[in-house]
Amino acid sequence: MSETTVLAARGLAKTYAADGVPVRAVDEVDLTIEAGETVSVMGPSGCGKSTLLHLLGGLERPDAGEIVLGGRRVDGLSETAWAVLRRRTIGFVFQAFNLVDELTAVENVELPALLVGEASGRARRRALELMERLGVAERADHLPARLSGGEAQRIAVARALINDPVLILADEPTGNLDSRATGEMLRLFADLRGRSQSLLVVTHDARVASTADRLLTMRDGAIVGHTRLDAGSPSALLRDLAGLGGEY
Amino acid sequence: MQDVVLALLAKEPAHGYELRQRLVDALGPLGQALNAGQVYVTLGRLERAGLVKAKPGDQQGQRNKRVYELTAAGRERVAEWLADVSWSKVTLTDFHLKLVAAAATGLADPVALVDAQRNELLRQLREVQQLALAEPVDSPGGLLLEGVGLRLAADVRWLELCEQRWLARLDLARSERKVRR
Amino acid sequence: MRSVPVAVRLARRNLYRRPAQAALVLLTLTLATGVFGVGMAVRGSADAPWDRVWNATNGFHVSANYYRLGNLAGADLNLPKVRRTFAALAAAPGVRAVGGPWLDLDGRLDVGSHGGYEDLTAEVRDPGRSSVDQPLLTAGSWLASDSDGIVLEQGLASALHAHPGDQVRINGHRFTVRGAAMTVSQGRFPLSLPALIWVTPATGALMRRIGLTGDGLDMQLRLDNPDDAAAFAAAHRSIETSTGHMSLFLETWRQRRADSHSDIDILAGTLIAAGIVVGLLAVATAAVIVAGRMAAQTRQIGTLKAIGVTPRQVVAALLVEHLTLAGLATLLGLGAGRLIAPHLAAASLTILGDPQVPALTVRQVAIVAGVAVVVVLLSTVRPAIRGLRHTTLRSLTARARPPRRPARSARLAAALGMPLSGVLGLRSAWRRPSRLVTNAAGLTLAVALIVVASGLRSIPNRTAITPSGPGSALSGNAVGALYDQIQVIVRATAGLLVVLGIINAVIVASFAARDSARNHAMLRAIGATPRQTVVSLVVSQLGACVLAIVVGIPLGLAVWRLIDGGDLPTVSVPVTDLALVAIATALIFTAAVSLPAWRLAQRSVATALAYE
Repeated sequence: MSETTVLAARGLAKTYAADGVPVRAVDEVDLTIEAGETVSVMGPSGCGKSTLLHLLGGLERPDAGEIVLGGRRVDGLSETAWAVLRRRTIGFVFQAFNLVDELTAVENVELPALLVGEASGRARRRALELMERLGVAERADHLPARLSGGEAQRIAVARALINDPVLILADEPTGNLDSRATGEMLRLFADLRGRSQSLLVVTHDARVASTADRLLTMRDGAIVGHTRLDAGSPSALLRDLAGLGGEY
Repeated sequence: MQDVVLALLAKEPAHGYELRQRLVDALGPLGQALNAGQVYVTLGRLERAGLVKAKPGDQQGQRNKRVYELTAAGRERVAEWLADVSWSKVTLTDFHLKLVAAAATGLADPVALVDAQRNELLRQLREVQQLALAEPVDSPGGLLLEGVGLRLAADVRWLELCEQRWLARLDLARSERKVRR
Repeated sequence: MRSVPVAVRLARRNLYRRPAQAALVLLTLTLATGVFGVGMAVRGSADAPWDRVWNATNGFHVSANYYRLGNLAGADLNLPKVRRTFAALAAAPGVRAVGGPWLDLDGRLDVGSHGGYEDLTAEVRDPGRSSVDQPLLTAGSWLASDSDGIVLEQGLASALHAHPGDQVRINGHRFTVRGAAMTVSQGRFPLSLPALIWVTPATGALMRRIGLTGDGLDMQLRLDNPDDAAAFAAAHRSIETSTGHMSLFLETWRQRRADSHSDIDILAGTLIAAGIVVGLLAVATAAVIVAGRMAAQTRQIGTLKAIGVTPRQVVAALLVEHLTLAGLATLLGLGAGRLIAPHLAAASLTILGDPQVPALTVRQVAIVAGVAVVVVLLSTVRPAIRGLRHTTLRSLTARARPPRRPARSARLAAALGMPLSGVLGLRSAWRRPSRLVTNAAGLTLAVALIVVASGLRSIPNRTAITPSGPGSALSGNAVGALYDQIQVIVRATAGLLVVLGIINAVIVASFAARDSARNHAMLRAIGATPRQTVVSLVVSQLGACVLAIVVGIPLGLAVWRLIDGGDLPTVSVPVTDLALVAIATALIFTAAVSLPAWRLAQRSVATALAYE
């Protein structure tokens, strides 16, 4: 564990009872996330990747193992303590139903800021700035029901970013989007890479997964594959892609 | 075709007819279209390239009755082929046959091959996307890159399917072996 | 309509998956139909007994009645003229048989040992059988010419616990009871006054000597056709007189029959009114359940769209479901009516014999079924209209209203230092006004009824509403006992309605918690603590509670103002009672809302996110 490790998990395990049969949703998982890096987790449905994300964010309690977030042991925290911790350090983006449907877009975005005690005027201003940067400012006073899928997800990202958390956890963020909206989200994620956030993305979309620096593959609750995606010589790839270079 | 035949010979020497049979089995319905002659032609080419040679003692007989085996160069070529993860010239049939050959000969774990190929594709996809993002939105160059990306993503999905199926098949084989013991 | 088979399939699926909801709807519908059904069965349970006695006694079709008013001392100067009038009437065309005219004597029946007495009328009759109104003996024997024995009207005999052979004191003189009998010529004692006895002419003469005075004459006629009675009375309207000294009027058998069961009427009326209120509560409860169902269905949009379901079909399924329950409730309600009504009616003081629930008519079934159907339609009307007009499933829910002005109330609340969870709760309430009203409806009714019930508590003791005066020593007690019974029934009904109101509040609370479960899960994911989510839910629901108190208390008081007048004294509900009602409602409601919210908040966020 280096100085720049944001999240370190060791021996995480979670078992569910499905119709009386115990199922190991997460089976002895170790993982670390460094500052500023993007990690994607892929795997067939039911492999436990969403459960893993829930465990890392405190949305679910592990049956075994430990989680260290920002140098602090967090796996045994109470619900209330987790909630307070999440406000400042973790941002969530889910596949759907991210937003509270009775609040307008901007009210949703400023909510985490209000939760940490920021003055409402300042929170509102920062929320609008953030939404401007993400290109959804004109939807500020709309209710979630009136937003398109892509807009809603971008507002969810804005909400996740408002308190400048060290870690963003995204669970199938493009799962409900059409390909155009997915493309926009990819652009958004790419823009985010300049920031200091670490990002863990659970996805089954190869295009989303490939934006990461590291790829983890899960199967039956365990991590079975670990690849660095930021290696490889560009020129050979480019030639390959262009189909230039026939058979010699 | 050449690489597949080489790989099939890596397990044990065989003559042309056996090889054709193995190919037909591996290819399923596509195999019916396989011309018997093509196997012999391939074998001839491979022999001329020095990658296979007829087993000693059979050099005099007719080509279709000869038993062929790999040369050292042939083995090297097979190893290279298995490790190669380039994709732009590879057809789905080629890759499929690679997996079949690996499983049949025991030279490599098909699941590991799929994994390696998939990781490579993801790296390529990452490159492509980074290039695409550098382009202004809706530029023609960007459009081409997006098309390449979509195809790569589709291929990744097929590879994931391959992984699942091959895993299941191997599991089944393992349990069958246990039963037989 | 292709919607129908899909609707039926959906309806069946919903009934199986949420049996508790269906049971609740069935319960409230059945209570409404049940109370209504009992009321309808009670009303008319006096008719068959009355008809039986009317037929057995050869009861009248038209009766002519004359009363002397004012000072009864001295001879009755009107009497000869009245006799002539009566004779002319008896000879009128259409008259088949005549009973009387009989002289009525005014006397006093001694009751108890402290000088109390009951006003009494003695009808002087020939001992032989009368062709009209020959009273039906229930004990002992009829008048005999060789005896001074008297026959008591059955109600009087029952009130005195008098049997043949007992003695009663009238104007200080003892008389022997020969028997007891029923008649339809007047109502049963003690709700019909004065008390009635029959005496022979000889006994009558004796009575005159001991101080009874003649105060009236009555004659009973039978016509060729009972249906001619109204026309006959109308034709002879001219003989009717009403002055300060006398009253002469005609009565038809139908009028008498209708007036003969005032306590049954009151009971039935109370039950039907209660049935209407229970029906309203059923609408409020069902509306909450429907709103909750719509919200749940839109959460299942994916599954429903996959099987090709449209909003119209969702609403159709709901109607099928609830109308089926309404049918079941109708059967249960009618059944309850027939089972319970005889027991309630048996306490009546006016029924001649045992009450008999009238046979079930199509009209009765239609009315009770109509009540259930109306409840279902009223509670489903909102989503039905929306479902017909829009095409998206999401349109079926009460959509949150976007803020018109930049959240003024929430800003104000924040400025006042209210915690964030409270502000969130206020926003939530403000943005869904229709849901607020729906949730408040049932609670409002319950509050109104508690106010009504506490008004009952303050009605002074029954002597204030019973006939006062010395001549009611016997009847006063009995009538008072009747009012007691009615009070008990009204209080029981109010209690039932209060229980229903509480059930409604609990349903509102649990649905509110369930509807907001997803939102709360999201709030917790971004850092709200479980307690904050519970507070925000309670605050958002308090609006309904406040509305219920603010509207319910004046509503309950208005009920009393409506009933005001008549023989009930003015009822004022003390302010302390009202304050108590307001506080208790707020506390109970808060507890009811916090509990399911707290339970839901204890689960992990991941479980809550997956909640359907």
